[in-house]
Amino acid sequence: MRMARFGILLICAALSATYAQVPYQRIAAADSNPGTWVTYSGNYQAQRYSQLDQINRQNVTQLKPTWVYQMRNPGIVETSPIVADGIMYITEPPSTATALDLHTGRPLWTYTPNIPPDVIIIGSPPVNRGVAILDNTVFFGTVNCHLIALDAKSGIVRWDVTVDDNKKGYYVTGAPLAIDGKIVVGVSGAETGIRGFLDAYDAKTGKRVWRTWTVPGPGDPGVESWGGTSFQHGGGSTWVTGSYDPDLHLVYWGTGNPAPDWNDDTRPGDNLYTCSLLAMDADTGKIKWHFQFTPHDVHDWDATQAPILFDAEVKGRRRKVVSMANRNGFFYVLDRQTGEFLAGAPYVKQTWTDGLDAKGRPFPRRDADPKVEGTLVYPAISGGANWWSPSYSPKTHLFYQPTREMAGIYYKGDAEYKDGTAYAGGGGEVKNGDDAYGAIRALESTTGRLRWEFKLLTPPLAGLLSTAGGLVFGGAEEGNFFALDAETGKPLWELQLGAAVRSPSVSFMIDGKQQVAVTAGSSLFVFGLP
Amino acid sequence: MQRFSGGLLVVLLIGTFPASAQSTTELEKGKQLFLGMCSRCHGVEGGGGEGPNLNRPVLSHAPDDQALAAVIRDGIPDRGMPKVRRFTDAELHAMVIYIRSLSQNTAAAITGDREKGKAIYQRSGCSSCHIINGEGGSLGPELTSIGAHRAPDYLRVAIVDPAAALPRGVMAFPGHGFNEFLPVRVVARDGREVRGVRVNEDSFTIQVRDAGNQLHSFRKSDLQTLEKQIGQSLMPEYKSKIAGSDLNDLVAYLSSLGGAK
Repeated sequence: MRMARFGILLICAALSATYAQVPYQRIAAADSNPGTWVTYSGNYQAQRYSQLDQINRQNVTQLKPTWVYQMRNPGIVETSPIVADGIMYITEPPSTATALDLHTGRPLWTYTPNIPPDVIIIGSPPVNRGVAILDNTVFFGTVNCHLIALDAKSGIVRWDVTVDDNKKGYYVTGAPLAIDGKIVVGVSGAETGIRGFLDAYDAKTGKRVWRTWTVPGPGDPGVESWGGTSFQHGGGSTWVTGSYDPDLHLVYWGTGNPAPDWNDDTRPGDNLYTCSLLAMDADTGKIKWHFQFTPHDVHDWDATQAPILFDAEVKGRRRKVVSMANRNGFFYVLDRQTGEFLAGAPYVKQTWTDGLDAKGRPFPRRDADPKVEGTLVYPAISGGANWWSPSYSPKTHLFYQPTREMAGIYYKGDAEYKDGTAYAGGGGEVKNGDDAYGAIRALESTTGRLRWEFKLLTPPLAGLLSTAGGLVFGGAEEGNFFALDAETGKPLWELQLGAAVRSPSVSFMIDGKQQVAVTAGSSLFVFGLP
Repeated sequence: MQRFSGGLLVVLLIGTFPASAQSTTELEKGKQLFLGMCSRCHGVEGGGGEGPNLNRPVLSHAPDDQALAAVIRDGIPDRGMPKVRRFTDAELHAMVIYIRSLSQNTAAAITGDREKGKAIYQRSGCSSCHIINGEGGSLGPELTSIGAHRAPDYLRVAIVDPAAALPRGVMAFPGHGFNEFLPVRVVARDGREVRGVRVNEDSFTIQVRDAGNQLHSFRKSDLQTLEKQIGQSLMPEYKSKIAGSDLNDLVAYLSSLGGAK
């Protein structure tokens, strides 16, 4: 009897311990718990930096596979794993969430929602970039534009809400961001002429708490930057996970291109708030400030890159800043309290602008606009950077960025809006030839000046991870997974994984031993020291 | 705003035009799109180049208009035909009309004699590096169906000035922008030198076949020199050896390969 009561007590204690598996406070203090990886970019500052240093410059050559997981579904894998309490949570293409035993890689549960066969996905491949976790629940978005909450232990659905109408082209590819009691999620679909927004949902109920339109509506400030009714299908997707400053209580999120992308005939003006960074109140979604990197974009210069937060001495005083290596080829540093432009410099070859003015506004070269017969412009259609994660090391104070040195040909075409069909007005192709290349670049984080680079044969499509072990992990289109010296860029270790690396790495511990995970092709690899 | 009104005006005008004028407008629109996106490979008049000629009645991948629209929309990735960009239905229709009109052009006459060309091919040593129907050496590209994929003008250039016609890679792997049969010169740290064509490459390694068709694999960190001879070809140029009617005959022979259905 006494034993039984003790047993029940134990179970209750275990239940209450698992109830709040990853509370908000734990995510906010992610850097103090480097054995786990509890939010998309590792911490709210989106630094994708691991405090772990067991794997370091001296021993990285000894890395060996711990286990490998093969995805069940075909398709491009871009997931960034979440790791907490002995479980790794990933997504598989197009919209499956899976939990793996951290010790072995064996699946614990997997959940695939019903995706209608006529789902509309225009503007990207049907990918998913990962889950968010909060308390005992895992959250992910789907290609038919749902946000789904699953019990973290069993994969059973707690709630499933429609974010918006997929028939109009809305869909979700990005990982949600879990903040205090709320799940923030962005949408894709500008190539279908959606009107973009960022949503926050109550984590317990799935009820929407706020929606912030990235394109103003009738009567809203900024609507005059569109001309006519073009704002109705103005684009401004929010498809890459942003960052969060708990002290300022602001969510930072980048917005994508105006629609139609390459045909601007119907949208004279700056087209607010496309190609911008928005700083929003976490409780209400109210825009505190915005900074538009590319007013009146005609090249698809989405500002959907991770906005990295750090503190630094800039222009004579210590500041809280936000930085971004933008798709348009420029690296930016802004004051994250006010949105003030502090620095901007090109980090790849670019030919679309003659530079930036004192406030960071570009002087676009109109001869670089897309034409029916094509216009050659640097960078190519995917930009100097794109969604793949940069990394910031608080140890080296360097901003690490995968970059693409490549020209593109930009075409202007017809644009006619019809619900759920392409509304892109042209497109682009890359200029072929052996002169294109990629590079991992280390930029001085307050100026964008180049400190070092490591060249890659092909422009990469994979993110980076920097670590306290003095390493930068990255991946190549040809399948190489590699570690560079964070101070010098010197390659220290490399392994051919057999297919393109398209996801960023994460780092965590298994039984007190540091691991690094990355995907290549349809496989997820976990590496550790022997 | 001005441009917006202009666009509306054009739409209204098209709406009032008789049918023949409409299709003339479409033909012009199709031509403009074709010149911008297709002519680099298929030739200004559809006479072909790196891509096959389109000025013939039957296109192998596009027996009807629907199939042609699908090829333009989706590309033929394993043949090197890219999906250039997204098109509206009207744009696709205009390009189909224009490309179909090219079949009324007189195809550049192939004046040579293919049987004589075959003899020239055999006596010039081409088969030491090229395979046709399973016969020949494998250092250079296979030519079994080259006539279906390359236009006569391109083949002519490939014979007299091979470096000007280096084929672009069509495989998804190793990826965009990768020129196949690129000549390289490699010197290892131990002084060993290899000249040959690049078979594959990544950021850390390179695989090379030498003139004797032997494979060599190197880690780049083990090399003192890696010279990519962009703009060169391992194939000897036949400018001074095959000319005039012989060249026409050889082009006629190569053009006949795989072209007939």
